Amino acid sequence: MKAISAFINGLWKENPTFRLVLGMCPTLAVTNAAANGVSMGLATTFVLVGSNIMVSALKKVIPDEVRIPAYVIIIATFVTIADLVLAAFFPEMYKVLGLFIPLIVVNCIILARAEAFAAKNGIGKSALDGLGMGLGFTWALTFLGIIREILGMGSVFGIKLFGEGFVSWIIFILPPGAFLTLGLILGLFNAMLSDKKKAKCN
Amino acid sequence: MELLLLFISTVLINNFVLSRFLGICPFLGVSKKIEVAFSMGLAATFVMTLSAIATWLVQHYILMPFGMERFLQYGAFILVIASLVQFVEMFLKKTSPALYQSLGIFLPLITTNCAILGFALLSALNGYGLVTSTVFGFAAGMGFTLAISLMAGIRENMEFGDVPEPFKGIPITLITAAIMSMAFMGFSGLISM
Amino acid sequence: MKNLTAKLIIVLALISIGSGFFLALTYTYTISHIEANAATEQEAAILETLPGAVGFEEISGTDFLMYKGLDANGGEAGFAYVAEGGGFQGVITLMVGVDPEQEMVTGIKILSHSETPGLGARIGEAAFQDQFAQKPINDSFEVNGDVDGVTGATVSSKAVAVTLKQTLPQALEQYRVSGGAK
Repeated sequence: MKAISAFINGLWKENPTFRLVLGMCPTLAVTNAAANGVSMGLATTFVLVGSNIMVSALKKVIPDEVRIPAYVIIIATFVTIADLVLAAFFPEMYKVLGLFIPLIVVNCIILARAEAFAAKNGIGKSALDGLGMGLGFTWALTFLGIIREILGMGSVFGIKLFGEGFVSWIIFILPPGAFLTLGLILGLFNAMLSDKKKAKCN
Repeated sequence: MELLLLFISTVLINNFVLSRFLGICPFLGVSKKIEVAFSMGLAATFVMTLSAIATWLVQHYILMPFGMERFLQYGAFILVIASLVQFVEMFLKKTSPALYQSLGIFLPLITTNCAILGFALLSALNGYGLVTSTVFGFAAGMGFTLAISLMAGIRENMEFGDVPEPFKGIPITLITAAIMSMAFMGFSGLISM
Repeated sequence: MKNLTAKLIIVLALISIGSGFFLALTYTYTISHIEANAATEQEAAILETLPGAVGFEEISGTDFLMYKGLDANGGEAGFAYVAEGGGFQGVITLMVGVDPEQEMVTGIKILSHSETPGLGARIGEAAFQDQFAQKPINDSFEVNGDVDGVTGATVSSKAVAVTLKQTLPQALEQYRVSGGAK
């Protein structure tokens, strides 16, 4: 039961993007298309699961004083593996995500989960936590990517939705669109959640 | 001349925060007060300029001679930046307590500021020389300082505005950033090729 | 105290060694694929920009990365070279195919760029690139006069045109000196 809650937690209650507002750099930068959101999310998931497992496995060995540098080395290792594998087997995706793959190293979610969860829990649970958080991040990124791609290019995952007459709002795939979409969605979610809370009180 | 162009384009046109999305966490988190935001910006600029030099040396004298730049770069850079931050913190504490008082609390936060790792990697990717790389680091820091200070100025005034409840805090900050980013896009014609 | 420091160093060193070991392993396994990807892409670009070619060979001794196209009978089918120019945000690299006899561009292909997605990045689309085929080498390459730029991305479009204009005469010259004779 508890293991499952570790997994579900990241999907909504502590969703890294919409609830914790962590890892904003890749969230804003790569979500100009749905497919980019998916692949960035999955790459991050891989690193999260890997580093959570390693940190949890080594938690008794690593002295408290050097835990942060040790975590950083572990995370950097998994990021480099993800980077090499993407470059080798998914060259098209690698071209698009480019600089943001290495930046998974400094994605606050990963260090935060290592420190807050994996360092205190067993291997299995930590893996589930990483998976949940990673998939939560993935769906959030995909969601943003879909909205921006529809508005900015009139397509989803590269499939055109509208006829020739559709004039796309290019602004949505440009940097301002990233800020705007995320800002509006966060506000919207806040509004929905607070409504629910009020309803319960009444 | 070329260095000046690089400086201007890094600060205004390809602003790290508003067009490259690097350093968003502190941009959202530490932009409530102008003074604090400005100090954070300066601290980041300081570390960025130093890490420009340090990562360049590591890249050219340690990683490249051994052909390890493809797979040890990320780890090496982040460790260099983290130790640099630690070092700067200790150094400031001993030599200039006043400066440490104002910048000190931000230093640990800077390690996870992706603008620093991002710029180090960009600089290595573009194959910049030591001087260009240093200027690039300084300019990136100044761009960050500019963006975060402007944002703090706006947010200070927004305190008096009537923001809808659910949009308070991060949502409205992001929407403000969208407008700033649009304004900064206007700079793109500043330097013609 | 001393023991603790020693322990810290040993643990960190062990983790680093482990990390280095795994990375070296991944690297040796993936590098051949990465290089093969780059080679395949390069090959496709050369053949795409040289319509008559079925094969190619590298020409050495030029300032550019230059390839001589070979047709089905082993004869010459123009040459292709890699040009670089500054775009809106970073370097734009492109493959340019040239017919040296008619002094004409036979095709261009953007190899890499870091332009804005959705705007400048559309220089990678065929509609933009195809315009350059059949242009004479001494063409003015004027954006929105001679070739249509990508809407909203004049800087990126101009960057491609200017790169072509600047490198074409040099490339042809060097091809005639070191590559054509064989």
